[in-house]
Amino acid sequence: MKYDVLVIGGGIAGIEASLTLGDAGFEVLLVEKDPSIGGHMIQLSKVFPTTDCAGCITTPKMAAAASHPKVHLMTYSEVKEVQKTGKEFRVKVLKKPRYVEEDLCIGCGRCEEVCPVLVPREFDYGIVGRKAVYIPFEMAVPKKAVLDLEHCMMCGRCERACPKDAINFLQEPEEVEITVKAIIVATGYNLFPPERKKEYSYTGNLTLIHTNLNPNIIHAMQMERLLAPSRPYHALLRPGDGKVPERVAWVLCTGSRDKSLGNPLCSRVCCMYSVKQALLYTSAIPFGEAAIYYMDIRAFGKGFEEFYTMVRDLGVYFIRGKVARIESRNGNPVVIVEDTETGEIREDEYDMVVLSVGLLSNPELSEILGIDTNSYGFYVPPDENANPVATKVDGIFVAGTATCPKDIPDTVAEAAAAAAQCIAYLKEVGT
Amino acid sequence: MAEKQAKKELTVKKLRDKGVKPREEVIEMAKEQRKIIKQISECLKAGPKTIPEIAFEINMPVGIVAWYVLTMFKYGQVEPGEEIDGYYKYKLVAKGGGK
Ligand SMILES: Cc1cc2nc3c(=O)[nH]c(=O)nc-3n(C[C@H](O)[C@H](O)[C@H](O)COP(=O)(O)OP(=O)(O)OC[C@H]3O[C@@H](n4cnc5c(N)ncnc54)[C@H](O)[C@@H]3O)c2cc1C
Ligand code: SF4
Ligand code: SF4
Repeated sequence: MKYDVLVIGGGIAGIEASLTLGDAGFEVLLVEKDPSIGGHMIQLSKVFPTTDCAGCITTPKMAAAASHPKVHLMTYSEVKEVQKTGKEFRVKVLKKPRYVEEDLCIGCGRCEEVCPVLVPREFDYGIVGRKAVYIPFEMAVPKKAVLDLEHCMMCGRCERACPKDAINFLQEPEEVEITVKAIIVATGYNLFPPERKKEYSYTGNLTLIHTNLNPNIIHAMQMERLLAPSRPYHALLRPGDGKVPERVAWVLCTGSRDKSLGNPLCSRVCCMYSVKQALLYTSAIPFGEAAIYYMDIRAFGKGFEEFYTMVRDLGVYFIRGKVARIESRNGNPVVIVEDTETGEIREDEYDMVVLSVGLLSNPELSEILGIDTNSYGFYVPPDENANPVATKVDGIFVAGTATCPKDIPDTVAEAAAAAAQCIAYLKEVGT
Repeated sequence: MAEKQAKKELTVKKLRDKGVKPREEVIEMAKEQRKIIKQISECLKAGPKTIPEIAFEINMPVGIVAWYVLTMFKYGQVEPGEEIDGYYKYKLVAKGGGK
């Protein structure tokens, strides 16, 4: 199969780049490793500083990519090999078995209804369950079921219930060979795993709660899910016991600007997303008390300072100090910190604590693509100032958080830049 | 439905015939899950309860009960009723109801 461009990663960067290229008349193959496109953005509640609904922005773009005549989606697939010969790249893509025939499945969810096995749901970072066969999320594109054979009892209920005979346990991984003239890498970021910051006592798996770890200490993406209009619960509740949280704290720089964890970088979005979450929380729970523990607030973008000041004026507490530990008292998390403005050692009890985790790199394709990363694993162009979306391989471009932590507007701008560079390159080599 | 089953051999059976079996841990986990859901459902038959009340009654860690009750809500098996002191009371959804 031949395409003009392979875009790797179906987050907002990859979707945006694919649509720009498709609109310019190029044939694009968008390869996404998860069962749906959308990336991290589709999991967010609202976006700072405008507080526009993230799903309302992302869903139409996902649908546009799926229905674009020039954009072809290959989800649940991974790039395994890339070879450049002359002006072309020969690429091997592995299509993982869904055990569901994509062309037959109508996304009705009957299989999920009857399946007896529960598994922590990835889309909600485990705060609720899904079944062994499941639709990844309501707005998934494509909206097709996936069967997780690792957690399947092989009882056959789903297969009997499917009205379209779409379940197929005999599916095998399929290797697809394609040829393209250019590649855009938009593989995004990995979330800092908060269990690595031992002092903050994050539980990790809510179904395996240990006595010394508190399920009311969650990470910021879990908070995004609790705040999102598509949230898994019926109200904003803490996961540990279903209580409406009346006091919530955010601990900034969890896993960022922390040499002891090997990541001295600032993640650029945690200050602002925490301010946003505090605002959304106090809007959802009007009598709720919100506090943010910070080292300094980095409100660097357009409208960010005004947003921060507005939230502060609305009554959100800002306490300056690096949190030393989080302990538990009667099921409530207790934040232990030195307030560096007063010198006081504080022990503050909350209903729920949100760890504002940072953005780490996702360098998994660097060897396959032969492109450089910096010492933190982010892809680096040969000359960052002259051309931030280029790589050392002619015809391979990078976009979005694959190159460094950034917010959505910067990600989208970079995706457009990568697409524009790619178009110029395609014209140069001839399509 | 019976006619459909008679006509078509399930692919899951064909996979089993090839010697592929489910993992022992999954079968154990599913058994445990069924037991917990049954305990929660039995407990709610007596009337609506908050998550801590269910946990106390069935003598299980409240965090685990919360995960199951909220997952049961997602699948339309329970629904929230009144809220008292920040805790909702959940009740069973009559069969055939749900989201
Ligand atoms: C808690 C939190 C809240 C945030 N809130 C905001 C906000 O309010 N406003 C804002 O501007 N920004 C916010 N951000 C930042 C925002 O999430 C990012 O700027 C944006 O999502 C980056 O998009 P991306 O496409 O670069 O990466 P991603 O969203 O990470 O997308 C990458 C995609 O590539 C796929 N992929 C990865 N590896 C491969 C592979 N090998 N093969 C194929 N596919 C692959 C992934 O599955 C994913 O779909 C927030 C971040 C966090 C953590
Ligand atoms: S696999 Fe069948 S039952 Fe499941 S969502 Fe698709 S069509 Fe519906
Ligand atoms: S065969 Fe597997 S996925 Fe299908 S219903 Fe049974 S446990 Fe669930």
